[in-house]
Amino acid sequence: MLEIKNIDVYYGDLQALWDVSVNIAKGEIVTLIGSNGAGKSTLLKTISGLLKPRKGSILFEEVELDKLPAYKTVELGIAMVPEGRKIFTEMSVHENLELGAFTREARKEKNKTAEWVYEIFPILKERTRQKAGTLSGGEQQMLAIGRGLMSLPKLLIIDEMSLGLAPVIVQEIAAILKKINKTKGTSIFLVEQNVQMVLALADRGYIIENGRIVREGKTDALLNSESVRNAYLGI
Amino acid sequence: MACLHSWKTFLTGAIAVVFLALLPLLADMGDDTMNLLIMLFIYIILAESWNLMGGYTGLYNIGMAAFFGCGVLITHFVLIAGAPLYIAVLGGAVSAVLLAGVIGIPTLKLKGFYFSIATLALAEVLRITVGNLFPRTVWMPSEWFVNFNFIPRYYLSLGMAVITVLIMYILVNSKLGLALFAIRDDEEAAKVSGINVFKYKIIVFFISSFLTGLAGGIYTYYRLSFLPFSQFTPHWTFEPLMAASIGGAGTILGPVLGSILLVVIQDWFSLNLGQAHYIVLGTIFILMVIFSPGGIIQLVNKAYHISGLYKVRKKRNRVELF
Amino acid sequence: MFIQVLSYGIMIGAIYGLVGSGLALMFGVMKYLNIAHGTFIMLGGYASYWLFTLWGLDPFKSIPLVLLIMFTMGIVVYKIVFSPLVKVFHVGERIQNSMLITFGLLLIIDNTVTWLWTSDVRSITTSYTGSTFRLYSVNLPYNSLIGFGLALLALLCLHLIINNTYYGKSIRATTQDWEGATLMGINVDYTYLISSGVTFALSGVAGIVIATSYSITPSGGLEWLLKAMIVLVLAGEGKTKGILAAGLFLGVVEAVGVSLVGSAYREVFGLLAFILVLLFRPQGLFTER
Repeated sequence: MLEIKNIDVYYGDLQALWDVSVNIAKGEIVTLIGSNGAGKSTLLKTISGLLKPRKGSILFEEVELDKLPAYKTVELGIAMVPEGRKIFTEMSVHENLELGAFTREARKEKNKTAEWVYEIFPILKERTRQKAGTLSGGEQQMLAIGRGLMSLPKLLIIDEMSLGLAPVIVQEIAAILKKINKTKGTSIFLVEQNVQMVLALADRGYIIENGRIVREGKTDALLNSESVRNAYLGI
Repeated sequence: MACLHSWKTFLTGAIAVVFLALLPLLADMGDDTMNLLIMLFIYIILAESWNLMGGYTGLYNIGMAAFFGCGVLITHFVLIAGAPLYIAVLGGAVSAVLLAGVIGIPTLKLKGFYFSIATLALAEVLRITVGNLFPRTVWMPSEWFVNFNFIPRYYLSLGMAVITVLIMYILVNSKLGLALFAIRDDEEAAKVSGINVFKYKIIVFFISSFLTGLAGGIYTYYRLSFLPFSQFTPHWTFEPLMAASIGGAGTILGPVLGSILLVVIQDWFSLNLGQAHYIVLGTIFILMVIFSPGGIIQLVNKAYHISGLYKVRKKRNRVELF
Repeated sequence: MFIQVLSYGIMIGAIYGLVGSGLALMFGVMKYLNIAHGTFIMLGGYASYWLFTLWGLDPFKSIPLVLLIMFTMGIVVYKIVFSPLVKVFHVGERIQNSMLITFGLLLIIDNTVTWLWTSDVRSITTSYTGSTFRLYSVNLPYNSLIGFGLALLALLCLHLIINNTYYGKSIRATTQDWEGATLMGINVDYTYLISSGVTFALSGVAGIVIATSYSITPSGGLEWLLKAMIVLVLAGEGKTKGILAAGLFLGVVEAVGVSLVGSAYREVFGLLAFILVLLFRPQGLFTER
């Protein structure tokens, strides 16, 4: 579904990604693991069109993403839950969700989708009129994911989901993601530092270091590989 | 800073200054040329003071007219009261600094645009209020007109312009200059690394308004009579700002080049076009901001760069020569 | 007497609010500090002035036409001079560059207008100019009343648009975080374009009100820019909510000050209010932090 083929990405004159290729098939949960500054966020910005690759291509269901302006990627069916959540703190929870359904297609289903999101995350329903800025960290993350789901995505991308959250909450959200993936067939791309959580959830994984993909494979295989265990699990 | 060609620039500058200093002795310049050169020197002082803030610190003073006008007006009244010239000019400059305190203390701790808005607001309020209070042209006593002589005015303004440029050079190459670069490039990072951002900003604002007020004082001494409120019109903000930006903000030479260009263009166009020359000037200015935000200096540097003679030093989107 | 002063303050305060709203909208959404804001207001005033003088169109009936003219101008100005700045992502730098560019625009427009139509002070004098409406002991000029109503109406429309339309949503989202807005599928560039048009349309309404109740000159824009800037600061950065209240506050402070000290110092009160707010409530008068 998403095919990233050999891209090079630059910040101005600084190269941040070298020859990166990533594939995500329909209905799959895939993870990208890497430490701070390894190039994870750069890759995500490139997928969402905020950065453009100098070399290589990004295809989403046969459409060349890198030729489109950034806002179009949402219309195609990619929802991004950015690092730091980037919720609109001055708006209410409900308004945030509505903004998630900004595209023409999603607008029609807006109310139905919102009900569904409230069903998945009941806590959001309780907070519906509250300013998003007043939510706790976990609630904000749920809102950000809910907002992403509002666009009825085929692919949900989540950046640093577990950052700053208590393990219990991370597990709760992970379970919900698994359910969404099962019931709706939504592909999920998790970009993480928290390896344990992610490897338990994902089917396949990529490891990125210094802007290059250094390893890829089934999560079980990655889990068992010594270098991953040393580098990311600290075992 | 210590580029290879900086001594060349110095030498050229020194020759230019010596030439300008000898000029009145060697040739009898007409009044027009005298007026033009004195205005040029005043512009250089103003453009350099704007540049110290706008170019080096990232603080856009869009109400220079307030400090200039304040210098003009106070110097005038102190002179009228019978004080000697240097006291009067100094008084004008110091009062501009006081004004800077009034605006600087509340705004320089906040985001940069508050400072810009406040300076513009100050200039406008002063323009309108001074216009209400002193609606008529003010004059120096008649003996000033009888004894009027260009020569001391010429040397005073030339001397101050040279001193201003030297002050800028020293400041920029001092510890203060380093702090300013840090603040301009990333204020948060500067704060974290222990730079007292507010202190440096206010120091720079004081220096800049002192020089601006000084320019106002010299202008009073040179003009003798003027309409008080017209010294507060945005004209006195635009021109230094344009001179600095067209020449190259964030460089020492830029404002000088920009002032020369501005004075020449104005002299040339205003003969043919009158007031409408501002239309041409405004267009040039906008094109410059969009296509070459580093001004003429950037263009020159690019030419050097293309010809491979000189490696451009980039700092954000501004380029420094010197 | 006091009520008369207060009513003047309130009536002009609404106009201050209107004048401030355009500046605040553009600043909030695009992070452009438009120094030429007052100048565009003057252009709106000139549009209605010439429609009235040449074709006899009543200034309040020509509103749709002036709106259209100004909206189009906003689009054109955006395309030509504003859009290059969209690539400047650093907020501070964008504000600075926008100041420089709009400074240049101000120079060009001011002098073009002077060149075309001289620097005469003009105002629209209709058959009802000068007639007043008496409410108990308070005299209210018809023109000012209509202007007051128009300012309120324009602000109400803006409020409704911002809170109830998809365009309004994209405005609010872009104001808070343009990157986040892009990720929602909002076309930020288009939002900027329309906002520029809307800002200019607001300037058009303000121009009409000012040309009928007060007067217009080529350089008169700066005085209104000053008011707009003070209103922007009183309301708080990026807030369109408190704009009307801030305008009314400024209007009343000025009116009371003038009645106490004299009209020569009118502007000083605005400046004082401005400095005090910056010192003690830099987040704005009406927002709790």
